[in-house]
Amino acid sequence: MSIFGRKKNHNPDEGRSETGTPGTAGAAGSSKAGRPASGTSPATGSLGLVQRHPDRDGRPILSFQDVSVTFNTEFGDVNAVKGVSFDIKPGEVVALVGESGSGKSVTSSTAMGLLPANASVTGTVMLGDREVTALDANGLRKIRGRHAAMVFQEPMTALNPVLTVGDQLTESLNVHGIAYGTEADRRAVELLEMVGIPDAQHRLKQYPHQFSGGQRQRIVIAMAISCSPEVIIADEPTTALDVTVQAEILELLRSLKDQLNTGILLITHNMGVVADMADRVCVMLRGELVESGEVHQVMQNPQHPYTERLLGSVPRLGAELTVSEPDTVTASQTTAVYAIEAQGLCIEYDHRGKKNRVVHDIDFTVAPGEILGLVGESGSGKSTIAKSVLGLLPVASGSLKIHGSDLTRLAGKEARALRKRIGVVFQDPAASLDPRFPIGDVITEPMVIHNVGNRQTRMERAYELLDAVKLPRSVVNRFPHELSGGQRQRISIARALTLDPEVLIADEPTSALDVSVQAAVLDMFAELQSRYEFACLFVSHDLAVVDMLAHRVLVLKDGRQVEQGPTQEVLHHPTQEYTKRLLSAAPVPDPDEQLTKRTERRQLLESLGERPY
Amino acid sequence: MLKFILRRFGSSFLVLLGASLLLYVLTINSGDPLKDLRESNADNREYLIEQRIDFMGLDQPWYARYWDWLTGVGKCVIGQCDLGTNRSGQQVIDLLGLAAASTLRLVVLATVIAMVFGVLIGILTAIRQYSGIDYVVTFLTFMFFSLPVFWAAVLLKEYLAIGFNDWLASPDPGFSWPTIIVVGLVLGLALQAVLAGNARRRLFTFLGAFVFTCAALPYMDWLNFARYPQLGPVVITLVGVAAAVGATVLGAGLKNRRVLYAGLITAVLGLVAYYATYGLLWDPNWLIILILAVVAIGVAIAIGRLMGGYSKGAATLVSVFTAVVMGGLIIVEHLFRSWPSYLEIVGRPIATIGSETPNFTGTFWEDFLDKGTQLLLPTILLALISLASYSRYTRASMLEVSQQDYIRTARAKGLNERQVILKHAFRNSLIPITTIMAFDFAGLIGGAVITEQVFGWKGMGELFRTGLEQVDPAPVMAFFLVTGTAAVLFNLLADILYAVLDPRIRV
Amino acid sequence: MSNEDGTPRNKPEYTPEENVRNGTGPSQTAVDMANLAEVEDAKLRQQTGKSYSQGQLVRRRFRNHKAAMISAVFLALIFILAFTSIGYAGIPGWWDKDYAAAGAVVNGGNPTLSLVPQWLGGQGIQWGEHPFGQDSTGKDYFALTMRGTQQSLIIALVVGIVSTVIGSVVGSLAGYFRGWIDAVLMRATDLVIVIPLLVLAAVLGQMSSGLGAGILPLALVLGLVTWTSLARLVRGEVLSLREKEFVAAAVAMGAKPGRVILRHLLPNTVGVIVVNATFAIAAAILLETSLSFLGFGVQPPDSSLGLLISQYQNAFTTRPWLFWWPGMFILAIALSVNFIGDGLRDAFDPRQGSRGKKRGIFGFSGRDKALNKTTGSTAGPGGKDVPGQPINGSGLGGLLGGSGIGNP
Repeated sequence: MSIFGRKKNHNPDEGRSETGTPGTAGAAGSSKAGRPASGTSPATGSLGLVQRHPDRDGRPILSFQDVSVTFNTEFGDVNAVKGVSFDIKPGEVVALVGESGSGKSVTSSTAMGLLPANASVTGTVMLGDREVTALDANGLRKIRGRHAAMVFQEPMTALNPVLTVGDQLTESLNVHGIAYGTEADRRAVELLEMVGIPDAQHRLKQYPHQFSGGQRQRIVIAMAISCSPEVIIADEPTTALDVTVQAEILELLRSLKDQLNTGILLITHNMGVVADMADRVCVMLRGELVESGEVHQVMQNPQHPYTERLLGSVPRLGAELTVSEPDTVTASQTTAVYAIEAQGLCIEYDHRGKKNRVVHDIDFTVAPGEILGLVGESGSGKSTIAKSVLGLLPVASGSLKIHGSDLTRLAGKEARALRKRIGVVFQDPAASLDPRFPIGDVITEPMVIHNVGNRQTRMERAYELLDAVKLPRSVVNRFPHELSGGQRQRISIARALTLDPEVLIADEPTSALDVSVQAAVLDMFAELQSRYEFACLFVSHDLAVVDMLAHRVLVLKDGRQVEQGPTQEVLHHPTQEYTKRLLSAAPVPDPDEQLTKRTERRQLLESLGERPY
Repeated sequence: MLKFILRRFGSSFLVLLGASLLLYVLTINSGDPLKDLRESNADNREYLIEQRIDFMGLDQPWYARYWDWLTGVGKCVIGQCDLGTNRSGQQVIDLLGLAAASTLRLVVLATVIAMVFGVLIGILTAIRQYSGIDYVVTFLTFMFFSLPVFWAAVLLKEYLAIGFNDWLASPDPGFSWPTIIVVGLVLGLALQAVLAGNARRRLFTFLGAFVFTCAALPYMDWLNFARYPQLGPVVITLVGVAAAVGATVLGAGLKNRRVLYAGLITAVLGLVAYYATYGLLWDPNWLIILILAVVAIGVAIAIGRLMGGYSKGAATLVSVFTAVVMGGLIIVEHLFRSWPSYLEIVGRPIATIGSETPNFTGTFWEDFLDKGTQLLLPTILLALISLASYSRYTRASMLEVSQQDYIRTARAKGLNERQVILKHAFRNSLIPITTIMAFDFAGLIGGAVITEQVFGWKGMGELFRTGLEQVDPAPVMAFFLVTGTAAVLFNLLADILYAVLDPRIRV
Repeated sequence: MSNEDGTPRNKPEYTPEENVRNGTGPSQTAVDMANLAEVEDAKLRQQTGKSYSQGQLVRRRFRNHKAAMISAVFLALIFILAFTSIGYAGIPGWWDKDYAAAGAVVNGGNPTLSLVPQWLGGQGIQWGEHPFGQDSTGKDYFALTMRGTQQSLIIALVVGIVSTVIGSVVGSLAGYFRGWIDAVLMRATDLVIVIPLLVLAAVLGQMSSGLGAGILPLALVLGLVTWTSLARLVRGEVLSLREKEFVAAAVAMGAKPGRVILRHLLPNTVGVIVVNATFAIAAAILLETSLSFLGFGVQPPDSSLGLLISQYQNAFTTRPWLFWWPGMFILAIALSVNFIGDGLRDAFDPRQGSRGKKRGIFGFSGRDKALNKTTGSTAGPGGKDVPGQPINGSGLGGLLGGSGIGNP
């Protein structure tokens, strides 16, 4: 029976000793059916399907040689990848790193022939001894899933919603002729157990929506390893997940890789993930490979200025930006002095007549000029609180006061007058600006709404703010779609500041941006805050970002308060277990440091009696 | 879920009530019900006016009349429907029974045909997006959207019905060589566009279809097929086997022998059944047909389950499909058998007026043929137009689904196109299509008004039209009662289907 | 719509449009501009080209849609022909015969229009005395057809305006306010929907024909019954738009509902509105002809294309021109409008349009093709001209409107 049927076996040596079969990679090149000569025929029902791959004597299992990809588009040809070469050996993790538009996903897609029809590829991609770029549709189908498998970014959409998980798992076994019927079901259970989904037998009959995001990603990984591929291409496998789940998924991938000696091509923009997982790193910039090498060398001693900048832009715990000092609010003063004050705040969503309480009994205050970081994972209610402060959601019970008055209870004029004093920056740069408004109108909209100034003074204010966010004045006549994400986010900030608000609500303002752009926007945010001295509720899932900016931090979990206090204390000397978990799960962009951190995390979890994944 | 459906049902009911009031008020205010009598010179004019006022209850205020109608409808709950009388004093419920039967026959048949072919064409055009066939179908779809129904109906009558009847009545109904070549070319071009592939494969498909046509049509001439059509055991077997193989290719892949054998066994059993039931089906009735159909499907399911092994589901589906095809072939064979005797009775078979030949008597099959030929033109017309929109929905939905991430996942697993499209894409795209189709059906009953008018059917359209012309609310409201009820029922059906198809709603 | 913004969030890898527009040459190695934010800003500063608003982009895309442009020109020609030939509202046109004036039947009422040149054995290209022939009472059939065409075009215009206004107002109010306003408005919409359109239109048409004030009451009535699908679509669109952050931002800024609806929501639903108005127009034209055919629409002695067909449907075998001309005109108008609608839909939502972005349906199947043609593309970026159906809510809805109304 398979050694991997037993969940607790993490010993890579034992795994290696039991790989009796001569491996699939070598034989498969000639085998037309794409089925290894070594028999795992469904008739015999022998397990051991998920097998360890041989080392190939140092030869790579996946190799890109001078690969270029051109897309033929409406606006002419676009050269997305320009002559990229690198190798992946069995059991090795190679991280392909870069920002938006660097061509890293396109590069990886060539390995399975998964490019859209308007793409043309030159160069060679070798998978084992096969030339993928020379295969026809039929040949490609035979390697997909069988010799190279893929793990996608969005676990929520990567699984077919109308088919059971079991159906989707056994499908690839059927397709590649590995197992059928009850035999396939048995293997599916085994696979689910391998990726750490309990009660697999029962859950096989469930549909994807009955699993959480992290579990779905585990299922996608189970699907990927089901036919024992030599290479797994993981395209941003943890980007859509919370940090704690990310840490688990990375642990899982690492343990599977050690057991199976699979080569992993890890595509990511997250330098922490790179430091955590990769053996070697390839850095891509606009379709070109600018630097590649061993992970320590690249991350600790980068040669290319781009790599250097990229690493420098990553927010780290402990780094600090200069922001204004908050006005102290002492007990002797009246509460009205607080910019925002919440007491016993509860918020409910109305879902088909049923009340669903998502925020429970939260207390916090934000003094004028103070930045309060609201931290938590998805579903923690942090954005809900922000929306409630903006008056977009009613308060179910408790009180929420802005400069001493309750926005939701104010009527018409007074509410508008209060709103004038609040600015807002949202997360999604694509959605936060009306696509039909030119930038000038976007920035001056608050003035129009509140009847402030005339046309000329409004334009002057717009120019002033554009200067403040360091964008050219000529941009007033442009439309949002002509700007990049980072630029749009800066316009968003400018709009929030138009009326000199005393309170600014920033809901994940940088989480949709690339790291280097995020760094620029955060710098600017800090600068503007020290200049305009607004109080700020800063919502973020990224502890490092909050650490850089916030004076005080409120950690949330499932709508409840976990820990609150000055940033220095909460994020550097946490007292609550959950905060510790969060901190230990967030990877840092340094392989050595991350190794220590990982070990610490394991110890923390072991002390709590849990598995690391 | 049940609560949700019940609530929807309740609100639909209220909407229906409001709509009935609206329509009632509008109808009685659309003109003067006594206009023709006021202008009449008849001696008994006063008496006629009195009589009509009495029948229509015109001496009462409008709300009382509406209330009368509503309570009459309310009695349907206890099985004593009273839909009022029309202006001549006839019970509307009696008129409605006949009218609804013929209209529903037309609409149901047209809808089923349109659904099946619309979905198939939609899938085809989605798979072959931006190909020649996609553009042709797109253009045709727009044509059908823009076609005035009544105008197209006249064209159909002229060219299809009268043309065919003339051809059949001519002393030597056969195909001329130019006709054969044109048919062959069109068929060849269409088939190569559908099957696609590389240039060589397309050429072979084209030539194959062309040569087949050039051989088959003269052969049919030689058989005098138009007057004495027949399939014979050979054709039945061939088509049945083709159905089994085709269904296997689509449903499981030819490699899956268990499924293939299940289909083939069913096909062979079908042939046996053809001989076994020959006497029974000589002049049957609907009950016999129904029983045989149930038996056939039961046997097919049994074969599928017995043979299927690990792929029971696919085997059962293929087996049932083959059984349905075989059953259809057997029925067609019996219809063909009765065609010559039917021709002797009516002469010009394709009817352009009416829903059945008056005073027609014949065997079961002849009667079947009579109803069928009467249905032919209006069904083609209604089906073509709905088919255009269904194929559009399906194409749109398939394309939408094909952009989803899970399609990419399926492809990355190494599935072939058949599996990706049928198993992953189609299942998902069915969700919106089913909902739309359910909504459409009720509208189609309303829309059949024009078709019935053009083809002279005495259906619900006729009921409505005369009712409205005579400002007589009872028939108009009866018409609305049927369409409104259908709308509510199909809304309900849509909700249920939605839950069936989408596990996110169900569990 | 979100894709027009250039940065689809899930696929950040590949935004060719932006790259090309901003003029970064593919081969530009930017060692000196390693910071993405700085690179972007530099690009923005260099950018001197004209700035295109959403509307301008839509117009440009529409102009590139050949089928729609041909249809638009064709429709314009029909419009000019119909209104200049027999004139309108007392203003005389260049055609000397009146559609209501009976006369002597010449040559059995055969059409005198001939398009076959003499050298091909025809009678030469000529217009003649009665180009479309005459009806049984000797009325000039060209004048009658033009009159019917006028009616259809007026219907199209009025229905377009009335149903669009009602539909947008009802839909946006219901979607924005939700709650009981939504419930009331949507139940009212259901009330109209549950009565088959043709039935409701026929009853109202019968009422309006009693007014006897020509075509306008009928057109208004048709507008009053065809707004429902648009209302539902606009509501759906508004419901999803109001979850967008720019709307939340406007509300948080203190904008009043009126401003949010008029300045933010409706302008962003204009694609859905325009496209569906077009399909509703095509459907309404067909609806009017159907009503006139049934006798509940335009009444004689006035004329309409549907009425002409109804009057002469039995003349098909003897005098087919009486049947063909009005039918062809209905078909031509409805087809043009439908194609314009299709072009507008592609223009407003280029996501799935047929041009350029050949994503390869079902993803990746076309890889071989792409390999074969590698570089040196010959066809040019223009791509195919026949419209592909864009796939979105509005697309389905458009069809819903189109089929539901027009083809009973």
